[in-house]
Amino acid sequence: MSHDDHHAVTIPAPGPEFVPHEVAHHFSTPVQEFQAGKLGFWLFLATEILLFGGLFAAYFYYHEMYPETFVLGGKQLDWKLGALNTSVLLLSSWTMAMGVRSAQTSQKKKTLTYLGLTVLGAVIFMCIKYIEYSAKNEHGLIEFGHLFDPYNEGTGQLAWFTDHDGVMASVPHGHMFFAIYLTMTGIHGLHVVIGAGLIIWIMVGTAKGRFHAGYYMPVDLVGLYWHLVDLIWIFLFPLLYLVP
Amino acid sequence: MSDAHDTHGELDMGHHHVSSSAMFSSVLVALLFLTFITVAVAQFDFGSANMLIAMGIAAVKASLVIAFFMHVKWDTAINKIVFLSSFLFLSLLFVFTLADLFTRRLDNEMHITRSPVDKGWVHPSTIEGGH
Repeated sequence: MSHDDHHAVTIPAPGPEFVPHEVAHHFSTPVQEFQAGKLGFWLFLATEILLFGGLFAAYFYYHEMYPETFVLGGKQLDWKLGALNTSVLLLSSWTMAMGVRSAQTSQKKKTLTYLGLTVLGAVIFMCIKYIEYSAKNEHGLIEFGHLFDPYNEGTGQLAWFTDHDGVMASVPHGHMFFAIYLTMTGIHGLHVVIGAGLIIWIMVGTAKGRFHAGYYMPVDLVGLYWHLVDLIWIFLFPLLYLVP
Repeated sequence: MSDAHDTHGELDMGHHHVSSSAMFSSVLVALLFLTFITVAVAQFDFGSANMLIAMGIAAVKASLVIAFFMHVKWDTAINKIVFLSSFLFLSLLFVFTLADLFTRRLDNEMHITRSPVDKGWVHPSTIEGGH
């Protein structure tokens, strides 16, 4: 907010239900503000690719070391729930893209509807994820209550991986698959939750009329974040649920 | 890139490409169809080709999301370079990690693991059951 700057630029509201946007005082033009924000966000998304990239490298490394462990581990997951969650995320990516489009064309109600549907997609995704994690917990493949407990000094038995049904007994290092599964889907799930929170924040701004054809950058950037969440899952689904 | 919306003079945000709803819907249908194909081909055993096929389909899906949903197709050159270069650096990580792995497997007999008894480094064949 700048009130003492003689060259402050204000983008007028396109209608009575919107508010004008005041370009931040350190930018000369709205275009400069928009491009600076976009460039910064793309840089952030590049770091996100590298964050998940390290995990994918770990996946490929251990998949190559213990292929039979990964194939058997993947069979312990329900690919139908994975496919359902893939469809939910793809649909929510579509509603997000439509939400950004509605903001670009100053359609306030449509923007709120599409963003609300996107949050609904995030909620459904996390509910399905909870059902899956619960099943893993029950079978002793990922015991969430013992994730940070030390392993048994005598037997070398991990506290969080007891595999009490013995489904992974025939392969070496059965815990490796589930450690990678939990780390990758856990960090991805964290992004889903953060993304849903950001979309709700954007919905509040939309309801206040802050976003319209003249200024929609925050909607655009949160949209990019949401699409990245979808992008990561596109690779996680075949690698974890349909282990090649 | 500019289009019909770049008509607001100096107050225009510039570079905003508004895609048609029909295009977004077409991309969604393509993505759902490719998800179906991903599941379908996983039912067949093509040996090591299964990984290449699965990653190939995922790469096509990812390209659709990046180009259309993320609007990269209409974004500025600098933004394209910044985002797409992350995949270049990622490929460096993959190349050197996998180079290590594939050369290491030439010495597969030297592969060592932790003993469940005393946690010392031992050859896996000395452990009952291979765990």
